[in-house]
Amino acid sequence: MRIDPTLWPRLHGASTHFPVALAMAAALFDGLSVLGFISSSFRARLRAAGCFTIILGALGTFPAVLSGLFMTKGNVLGHDAMLYHHLFVWPAFAGLVGLGTWRALTGEKATPRGFAIYLAILIVTAGLMAGAGYWGGELILNS
Amino acid sequence: MHLSLQQRALAVSLLTATLSLGGAFLAARSIGAIAGSSLKLDAAPLPPAMLVPTQQLVAQGAQFFGQSCGDCHGDDAHGDEGPDLHNIAISDARIAANIKHGVKGEMPSFARKYQDPQIAALVAYVRSLR
Repeated sequence: MRIDPTLWPRLHGASTHFPVALAMAAALFDGLSVLGFISSSFRARLRAAGCFTIILGALGTFPAVLSGLFMTKGNVLGHDAMLYHHLFVWPAFAGLVGLGTWRALTGEKATPRGFAIYLAILIVTAGLMAGAGYWGGELILNS
Repeated sequence: MHLSLQQRALAVSLLTATLSLGGAFLAARSIGAIAGSSLKLDAAPLPPAMLVPTQQLVAQGAQFFGQSCGDCHGDDAHGDEGPDLHNIAISDARIAANIKHGVKGEMPSFARKYQDPQIAALVAYVRSLR
């Protein structure tokens, strides 16, 4: 059976935006939840939203990564824009999976210090995801 | 040794992240091996009629080269990050296959950007480099 070679780019395009958007949304929800003027009930809702978005984002990385690997025929680095894309992708992938796992296990039982470290790593990971998305866009435009 | 929930969660998270990353690299190797074998099947020579170089074809290839290849192979094709393409000792079919499918870890695929007639023009241009 011969697979249409355009299947993987299409699947990668279809799947890759979910983890990018969800990582940023999780950083936004959890970032807002630590602001002083937020009421405790709204804070709890923001944390719950942050929890679900990061877990869904972590799950969403797997189809994105797999379709990307099929698209590049297993090339994990490459060069030029592809290299820059991957230099952002791999730490972002590990970060998102780790953060999603931690959040799924701790839920609302995170200590303030633990949550502060989580939030700092989440913001960095969201930035890495944005970088991966930017260089992914450069790949489409320039190749 | 008693670990708190936070410590256990951290350990599992690090393990999951590492396993995911490792799994991705193992998947990449498997996919690369599969793609490598299918590449051999896909790398059938282009029809000879498409590879007859003409001045027009070479000029067209030079234009595509400037747009997509000069960044790595140098504007004069004497090499930069990529190799010098003058007097290269590989077949036209292999040049076309490299352009079309890329070279793993070295060069991206241009299959989405260039169709066979355009690749034939690029091959004609590369072949004209002496």
